[in-house]
Amino acid sequence: MEKMSYYAFVSAMLVTAFALVLYVAYAISGLRAARMQTAGNGLGMRTGTLGLVVEPRTATFGRYGSILGWLAFAFLSAWLVFRTIATGHGPFANMYEFSVAFAWGILGAYYWFERSYHQRILGLLALPIALAMMLYAATIPNQIDPLLPALQNNLLLTVHVAVAIVAYGSFSIAFVAALLFLFQQRPIERAFGLGFTVSLLALVVGAILSALLVGFVVAVIAGLVVGAIVYALDGRRGLATIDTSGGSWGLPRPAVLDEIGYKAVVVGFPFLAATIVLGALWAEVAWGRYWNWDPKETASLVTWLIYATYLHARVIRGWTGSRAAILLQIGFGATILTYFGNYFFGGLHSYAGLG
Amino acid sequence: MTNQTRTGRLPGLAIDPAAFEPADFEPAAIEPAVAEELGATRSASRGIFEAVWDLLTSMRFSLVVTLGMAVLGVLGALIIQVPAGVEADASAKLDWLAGVRPRFGGWTDILDSLQLFNVFNSIWFRGLTAFLTISLIACMVQRAPGLWRTATKPRITVGDGFFAHARERDSIVVRGDAADLATRTTAVLRRHHYRVVSEDDGAINFYADRFRWAPFGSLIGHLAIVVILAGVMVGALYGFRDNSFVIAEGSTAAVPSGDGLSLKLISFEDSYYTTTGAPSDYASELILFENGREVARQTVRVNDPLRYGQLSFFQSFYGPAARMTVTGTDGSVLFSDGVALAWETQDDGRSIGTFTLPGQDVTVWILATLGPGDTQVKPGQILVETYRASTGEPIDQVSIDQGVATTISGLDFTFDRELQFTGLSVARDPGTILVWIGSILLIAGFTIGFSFPHRRLWARLVVRPNGIGTLAVATPGRASHDVDRAFTNLVTDLRAAVAGPSAS
Ligand code: HEM
Repeated sequence: MEKMSYYAFVSAMLVTAFALVLYVAYAISGLRAARMQTAGNGLGMRTGTLGLVVEPRTATFGRYGSILGWLAFAFLSAWLVFRTIATGHGPFANMYEFSVAFAWGILGAYYWFERSYHQRILGLLALPIALAMMLYAATIPNQIDPLLPALQNNLLLTVHVAVAIVAYGSFSIAFVAALLFLFQQRPIERAFGLGFTVSLLALVVGAILSALLVGFVVAVIAGLVVGAIVYALDGRRGLATIDTSGGSWGLPRPAVLDEIGYKAVVVGFPFLAATIVLGALWAEVAWGRYWNWDPKETASLVTWLIYATYLHARVIRGWTGSRAAILLQIGFGATILTYFGNYFFGGLHSYAGLG
Repeated sequence: MTNQTRTGRLPGLAIDPAAFEPADFEPAAIEPAVAEELGATRSASRGIFEAVWDLLTSMRFSLVVTLGMAVLGVLGALIIQVPAGVEADASAKLDWLAGVRPRFGGWTDILDSLQLFNVFNSIWFRGLTAFLTISLIACMVQRAPGLWRTATKPRITVGDGFFAHARERDSIVVRGDAADLATRTTAVLRRHHYRVVSEDDGAINFYADRFRWAPFGSLIGHLAIVVILAGVMVGALYGFRDNSFVIAEGSTAAVPSGDGLSLKLISFEDSYYTTTGAPSDYASELILFENGREVARQTVRVNDPLRYGQLSFFQSFYGPAARMTVTGTDGSVLFSDGVALAWETQDDGRSIGTFTLPGQDVTVWILATLGPGDTQVKPGQILVETYRASTGEPIDQVSIDQGVATTISGLDFTFDRELQFTGLSVARDPGTILVWIGSILLIAGFTIGFSFPHRRLWARLVVRPNGIGTLAVATPGRASHDVDRAFTNLVTDLRAAVAGPSAS
């Protein structure tokens, strides 16, 4: 079973990578189509009922990308089943299992939203996050260790983490939507969106390579540099003139992205609340104390507060749109840092665990 | 709806209507005279109380407060925090600060004076939490009446401006008898699970809504946060906790703060996986006595605490213990019990425990071997140190062999055998139940609020004497996929039901 689960994992990784290639092709041909359309060039192009470009090649890339994505999701589901059988509990007991499950959550959330909103392009950014989680999982030990006493609570372990996966998956989608949203705003917002993403990536990579400080410095510099480059390019190429309401470059309209981001948080927010409560419940049963201000616990509460802020921001004049999208980015940053908390807090805060 | 102009805000919303539901009510729909008059009284009577109230109920400010708490949380997660108990003990605090000084250098004292080594007990955090609590209560007090009115006494007739400008709107040409058309309209709305109320003022006005109670879910979700915080408060005020309740195997110890309760440890077992050597189980077999009578018996494990009344006992740590017997010169047994070696010496890390002897001015400390290679206390031995209880002055220091009675300070000491002790956390937290109730309400409340947004819809049917007329339909709210689809479906059905034969 362990072997089977491993094969399923590797297959999922490969299929996701292929799907990603197709999504990139989909995005590029969509972009070209959008360009040609704005240029008023109707060369051999059909226009659909809604004024959307229906270029056969674009649609085909997208469709096959989706199908491969479904396949990857199926492989990960198989992994979940095999691993559960092999370990005898939900496969959520170590970083490897949790990371693959995270990837599963992202793909699941993505396809859920693709089905309701028909915005394939989200996959262009959602798949890389899922793939990164799988690649990360592939680099860390994956043997099945028996459970330490504190983890020996199958029901709470499984439910607590399963619920977290749903929250994290949703927040990933919210992040992707926010990034695409910001991308279609003013140059400064576009610069922020991309700079933030790059620095988040640098920070996480730095932490994983246990070079937190280097990672931090690189993150700040890379974020600023990328932001500056995007900003500078914007001025020169005249990208600044894109229409902020209409959906540019073949991307979904900002209003749609805003709604997707909101819907994703609407799912993620109660699930994160449930994750925290179940964690507290477990802490009470295992250690006699529902809340210890342990860094990971604190970080998840902070994440939750940020999303609460987002939910409020969306109904306050002046905080809708870009500011809300920026809160979504920060929220996902907090999610990721919470997830990799061991790397961040371990160095600074040696938590004296009980027992 | 009739009351919403009173504050210039939507019922129960702490924000201005334009931002919240952009198309809910256009200015035209609000009687200008009323709005003006109320605006005037508001600014005239605006005193300190109103200013505070406005601040407390301002969502903008609550956003700042939540972000502030998030920032403190980040600091608390990143900066090492003083362990519980150390803060209150000045000398321990100094030692602890000295320990972190190498890492923080000159920042140590600054961080300390800003209370950032104890973020979650700091004045900042407490202040924000207090503010949040008051603000939550104020917001919901302000919000509840409006929600109630919206649910029970909705405004049925709205101005033409609304039908002309609402984000989702449509107009259907109808033909036929007004009463009959009204019945059909109502039937379609009911089929779409709407509640329908209508009013006749020459034209027939309809108000229809779904999930009118669901907004209370969000209200309950907010108040649940107050319930949770109340639970935390109750725990802090009336709870009790001892994280270092230690019992040696075979011994019975009085439960701290547990009137008349005592706990006996039959045995402690720590087991390990043969494959990895990692711990697999810690199990303390315990019997609980109340005034000498057995009231509970359980093997306590890490995920399986013993609960009795309001008290709970949790497996927390364990370590070595020794069974000691001490007899006086006359042969009377002064002491015979297990002694937990629950501390460690600072210099070499030996396990160490202590006990006193009734009627003797002696305090005894016993120290365990460090294992093979230890010359001072060989394996199989235990080191006995005696002190004058009254003055603390040392008397003797002798390593004794297991099972051999040895005379020290005029008493016979026997190290009977090695044992283990178990370390339990004892807790009584009457606030926990509030925390759980609050948590359930929070999740349930927000989930309901999110899943069933209150949908409202107004329609107006005007039929001219010649039997031809219009049915205007509009729904407020921001543009959204779901609302859009639902509205389109509804209008399609309405059109099929009421459009006259020739019009369709
Ligand atoms: C940590 C504290 C808070 C949390 C976690 C929180 C959470 C939430 C959530 C999840 C929503 C969306 C509910 C929904 O759409 O059904 C919401 C809406 C709202 N919150 Fe809070 N909130 C908090 C504090 C406050 C405070 C202090 C106020 C008062 C200023 C407030 C006022 C409101 C209002 C008026 C809404 C209504 C907007 C709407 O109906 O969508 N909240 N809050």
